[in-house]
Amino acid sequence: MSFSFSWRRQKNVAPVESDPFDDDFQRKLESLALVSRRVFAGRLRAERRTKKSGSGVEFADYRDYQHGDDFRSVDWNVYQRFGRLLVRLYAEEEDLAIYFVLDASASMSFGEGKKAAYAKRVVAALTYVALANLDRASIVTTSDRVTKRLPETRGRARIFKAFRFLREVEFSGKTDLGDAMKAFVAQNKRRGLAVIVSDLYDPKGFERGINILRYHKFDPFVVHVIDPAEAVPKLHGDVLVQDCETGEAREVTVTTSVLDQLSRAHARYAGDIERFCATHQVSYVAADVERPLEELILRVFRKGGFLR
Amino acid sequence: MILTGLTLAQLGVLFGCAGLGVVSLYLLKLRRRTVLVPFSPLWDRILRDRDATALFSKLKRILSLLLQLALLALLVLALGNPRIGERLLAGRTLVVLVDASASMQATDVLPSRFSAAKDEVRKMVRGLGAGDRMLIARMGADIAPLGPMTGDAPVLERELDSIDVTDAAADFPRALRFANDVLRGVAGGEIVVVSDGALGPAVDASGVVHLAQATLAFVPVGHSGRNVGITQFSVRRYPLDKSRYEVMLELSNTGPSPEEVELQLLGDGALVDLTKLALGPGERLPRFYPLLSGASRTLEAKIARTDGTHDELPADDHAYALLPERHRSKVLVVTEGNTYLEAALLLGEYLDVTDVSPAGYAQAIAQGPWDAVVFDRVAPAEAPRVSALYLDPAGPGSPVSVGKELLAPTFDKVDRAHPSVRYTALEDVNISVGHRLVAESGDRVVGASDGGAAPILVAGTRGGFKFVALGFDVRKSDLPLRPAWPLFVLDCLDWFANEDSRYLSSYRTGEIWRVPVEGAAKQASLKLPDGSLERVAVHDGHAVLLGEKAGFYELTTTSDAKGAAPAEAIPTFAANLVDASESAIAPRDKLVVDGRSAGQLVGFHLSAQRDAWASLILAAVLLTAIEWATYHRRVTV
Repeated sequence: MSFSFSWRRQKNVAPVESDPFDDDFQRKLESLALVSRRVFAGRLRAERRTKKSGSGVEFADYRDYQHGDDFRSVDWNVYQRFGRLLVRLYAEEEDLAIYFVLDASASMSFGEGKKAAYAKRVVAALTYVALANLDRASIVTTSDRVTKRLPETRGRARIFKAFRFLREVEFSGKTDLGDAMKAFVAQNKRRGLAVIVSDLYDPKGFERGINILRYHKFDPFVVHVIDPAEAVPKLHGDVLVQDCETGEAREVTVTTSVLDQLSRAHARYAGDIERFCATHQVSYVAADVERPLEELILRVFRKGGFLR
Repeated sequence: MILTGLTLAQLGVLFGCAGLGVVSLYLLKLRRRTVLVPFSPLWDRILRDRDATALFSKLKRILSLLLQLALLALLVLALGNPRIGERLLAGRTLVVLVDASASMQATDVLPSRFSAAKDEVRKMVRGLGAGDRMLIARMGADIAPLGPMTGDAPVLERELDSIDVTDAAADFPRALRFANDVLRGVAGGEIVVVSDGALGPAVDASGVVHLAQATLAFVPVGHSGRNVGITQFSVRRYPLDKSRYEVMLELSNTGPSPEEVELQLLGDGALVDLTKLALGPGERLPRFYPLLSGASRTLEAKIARTDGTHDELPADDHAYALLPERHRSKVLVVTEGNTYLEAALLLGEYLDVTDVSPAGYAQAIAQGPWDAVVFDRVAPAEAPRVSALYLDPAGPGSPVSVGKELLAPTFDKVDRAHPSVRYTALEDVNISVGHRLVAESGDRVVGASDGGAAPILVAGTRGGFKFVALGFDVRKSDLPLRPAWPLFVLDCLDWFANEDSRYLSSYRTGEIWRVPVEGAAKQASLKLPDGSLERVAVHDGHAVLLGEKAGFYELTTTSDAKGAAPAEAIPTFAANLVDASESAIAPRDKLVVDGRSAGQLVGFHLSAQRDAWASLILAAVLLTAIEWATYHRRVTV
């Protein structure tokens, strides 16, 4: 089975390749599953171990027999040895809520829109992995607010709905991850894994949005989309540098020295993000748009412990 | 500094207005290109650091403005055409005499002294001020002004490029008189002589050359004088054995050190003789080579140093000569019989003699062509159209009238310069009886009796053909018994055939050449040694020209004055430098004219007198380049 997207060229809509995964890659995706550092309570039975005791296959504990318990769960061996009626308890397996927070601000479609296209493909791939594992997947696009939302969905067949949703995402507006995450946590009461796919170009600081998720008991996972070309822009001479989101302008005389400094600042900024995530036990993966998607999913994500 | 263009006030106004414009433009904010970036805070981080050096940046911008104002100032100043030095405004008038004599070919200054002299003049031309005027003249065997008096440097440089050095000595007195004439009436005129100084005294036939009001400056060229040259070269055939010839030459070592040279004689291009010679400093070594044979036309002498090094003056290392051309002459002898005459003609190795009686003359002359006719005691009714020797002529056809009889005439007076009596002794010839000859205008009395009053030997031309008339019968004298008799007969026939035993083997460069030309042509074409052609006028049977190049020449006459069709090719002739004064190439430090030493040339320092506007423009361009480079390297922005 293969997916095909018909790409319509429209303003601020980053392209998604017509065939994001081939069959082989898709089969590999099916064997993967997203890993959450925390254990969340699910709603339906699934493949995720929960804190609940229930009808799972994994032994959890004993308790005294109470009236009305199923006789089949009485441990007769214990009764024979100790003369007590004890009932076996098993860990319940439920589904996991996974939220894909896609940054749909204007900076993501900057230049040739490589970051936007790449981010869409990453979200599409991870969504497929989630749906294939019977998890509840939800996609949320943000700028300085939650701009669009794909409600929680479950089941592999819903992947087309996710693709359709992604295809229609438009990239515009300012980035304010903090405000956007406030709205997100207010809208989603069920805690779960929150995968932020963004360039994290937030003038108010990338930390706010991640911290809000942490404070509200979500398990944040940062996929930092990086376009190396932005670190070495092809500029020279006297220019008026204008932010594509805020419109703020600044006169700059671009020299080789300035370009070197910019490249260093870009690397330093990415380093700050990675350091922050490491410090706060937030999973972090740098997604270089020049890196093949298959390599990112199958090697980098698995190496980082996000997929197993 | 004096402004010869716009005045200072005008320049001030111009600079003020333009400067205001520059400052206004500078104050206008530079419209920058807007560039979108994904995340401007990254740029803010950089710019925070750069803001710390904002003051320095402002200073750099001021430096940029100052550079532009300096650029403007230079351009405005150039409009003023400033000049340094007051005396230039007075304007100088100069006559520059460039020595083009043979000694200027010396290579002690590479590539040659003449090139160095031209370079010196070129510097002067480029140092001319606005009011200066200059006339450049080539000083060779004659004086040739290259153009009018002008201050136009490009014109003067073109004139300078056109001149070439000669193989002749310079006529310095004539050049000085020319310069004096040019500067007559000009206050403060200057004569500049650019030369190696080997010009000889400034004295000519009119006496010492006096410099009128003009001042004389001398620009010396050259620094050494090592040279060995051929200073004499002559060749002639023996009168009675024309297959042999003799050569006389002279070598001169004009340098300060002894030299060893190898002398080659080449006959018709083939080696005839090779000799090694040693010459002391200043030595002149004459050499005589008798009884040479093996060459029929051309003879060359070459010298080269035995150590293989090159002479500093190659022009005098090569000399050229031509031997008189030998050809068999057909001679018709009209006689009743004259044994003495027949015997004399037998000595002529290249003579084809035909005897005929007077009665058979008409038929014989019609069977020509003949190179000469000898009439013995007869004269034809009509003079033949060929050169003729008349012995005791009688009859109406005689070229000269025969006068009264002379008893026992003698050769009291003999014109020794005439070729018909060369090497003869006629003064003691005894003659029993003869006749006085009446020479016509233009005829030359070669021998005369009665103290020179009674011509008995006359030579001249009739109708373009030569004749010699002897006024007595040789059988009535003892002349046939003397060696002078056959010599006289053969001399006459040689003269008729232009085979002069005193033949001029080569001409000397720097002199007026009179090259004999047969026929009535008025113009001739001259092929020079370098292959170029020149038209030469012919006067009185001679092509007249001033020769300045050594080598072999070829002269071709044309049938009419317009020079339409070639009529007769005259054999080539040779020309040589052979001038000991030109071979002495040691340069002189001083030049003395009219008892005064020539001064040094002053006031032609390129930096001081060149038009300053060019330098200002150059400086402006340089500043523009600096501004451009610093702008693009972001030093001044």
